[in-house]
Amino acid sequence: MTLTAAPSPPEAAASLLDRLTGRARAPRAERAVVVLHDVTKRYPNGKEALKDVDLVVPEGDFVFLVGPSGAGKSTLMKLLIRDELATKGVVVIDGADLARIPRRRVPKVRRKIGIVFQDFKLLPRKSVWENVAFALEVTGTPRRRIRPAVDSVLAVVGLTGQAQQLPTQLSGGEQQRTAIARALVHDPRIIIADEPTGNLDPVISWEIIQLLLRINELGVTILMATHDAEVVTALRKRVVALEDGRIIRDEMSAAYHRED
Amino acid sequence: MIPFVAFSIGRAWQGFWRNALMSLAATLTMVLMLTLLAGFFILQNVLLASLSFVEQKVEVVAYVQTTATDDQVQALVDRIKAMPETASVEYVTREQALEKFREAQQAQGREDLTKYLESNPLYGSVNVHLTHPQDLDAVTTALRDDPIVRNVLNIQALVDRVVTVTSIVRTAGLAMVAVVGVIVLFIIVNTIRLAVVARAEEIEIMRLVGASDAFIRWPFVFEGALVGLLGAVITLALLTAGAEPLSQAAVGFFNVLPLQLGSVGRDTAVLVFATGLGLGVLGSWVSVRTYLIR
Repeated sequence: MTLTAAPSPPEAAASLLDRLTGRARAPRAERAVVVLHDVTKRYPNGKEALKDVDLVVPEGDFVFLVGPSGAGKSTLMKLLIRDELATKGVVVIDGADLARIPRRRVPKVRRKIGIVFQDFKLLPRKSVWENVAFALEVTGTPRRRIRPAVDSVLAVVGLTGQAQQLPTQLSGGEQQRTAIARALVHDPRIIIADEPTGNLDPVISWEIIQLLLRINELGVTILMATHDAEVVTALRKRVVALEDGRIIRDEMSAAYHRED
Repeated sequence: MIPFVAFSIGRAWQGFWRNALMSLAATLTMVLMLTLLAGFFILQNVLLASLSFVEQKVEVVAYVQTTATDDQVQALVDRIKAMPETASVEYVTREQALEKFREAQQAQGREDLTKYLESNPLYGSVNVHLTHPQDLDAVTTALRDDPIVRNVLNIQALVDRVVTVTSIVRTAGLAMVAVVGVIVLFIIVNTIRLAVVARAEEIEIMRLVGASDAFIRWPFVFEGALVGLLGAVITLALLTAGAEPLSQAAVGFFNVLPLQLGSVGRDTAVLVFATGLGLGVLGSWVSVRTYLIR
């Protein structure tokens, strides 16, 4: 198994925005964007949150990460965005070994990953538009490129009409769609969603899932941690189950619970 | 580079006004602390000036033989004047000494008894003011070694006391300013820290969307600098407004002691600006550092 990904195929060069707006076709799934090899994470207090984890996620995959609280899902996500470093093993994101890249390159790797949280993490004093634009402003994007990018991701998540509202004026589903727009605006290769539907009612949850599926169809790899058994079982996607820091199940087209 | 600086300053300005209450609280704390620091600094300067005034009062008196010629006395005066330890040298002739004695007696309302004298019983004296009272020995020895000097008034005990008192007061003053400085440092850094912690979520989001350290840090550093500068300007305005009435009130005190405080105003301004700006920047820098990429 090769740990480093192959160089980008030419069609991947088309930006996500182009793909989302139908100007380019999605690239075929053929290379690994996330590779964890023999990863162990031990916290300073001695707790082992992950033990000997191996996981390869090809580009374009949709992966559900399931398991009880404290199984290591959050730690796994922290490792992927290099919020934490693995105690042992290798974590590779889109060809970059996170333990080896210099500190100053970490932000660049993070821009390849869009993150969505259960509690949305929107800035309450900024409008929907400003919240999305914020992600571009703080990464030094020139002003003239911010406006079209924000406008088009807001169109993708269907919030063009609410652009000037504050998060507090929105429903939970709209807030989460704002967060997804913010995650998309950097044209990421991967979206990591930590219980994105955890605070939403079932109907709204399905809307969010539909949105993520649509983004996935456009070639963005999606890694979603969830407790929502109904959604996982209905969609028949790849399911990775964690328990006590180990991967106990990794199946394609699977259900929330083991089925044999 | 220029877009980055413009971005940082713009964000700092925004951050300052979006959290206006927090920013104003921080600025107010800055003003109070800088005023406290400036107050102690000025006090310390007044103290130092008073001490050197007291020290300059120390006078070594050497009585000269009546047989000494004017040339000999002049040579002695020139020699002592040339010593680095002396601030000023004055020759008081026998006649002047008698005159002074009479004036002193009269000032105290006593009868002038000198008219009963057949001749002037007093000696002429060379009076030396010292730059530092610690140098008493060197000057005394130099005076004593001259053959025309009859005797040197022994003021060792007095000088010892003056030196002890002034050095204690100096050390105490310095310690006071140092303690106040440390208190000011901690309070200002802590206040700025509170303002930064209040925005922890914003910083976290910046980190998660892939903002580099510089983009996270500099807006806060500029904001800290803004709080520092604003605090310094307000403090100096208050001090300037307060300087006139204060010195009027203290005019009696300052008349008694002709202190030289020429550069204190400028030094205070420099101190207030440097402290405000420096601590504003330092406070933001260390507070943000906690949130940067590990």
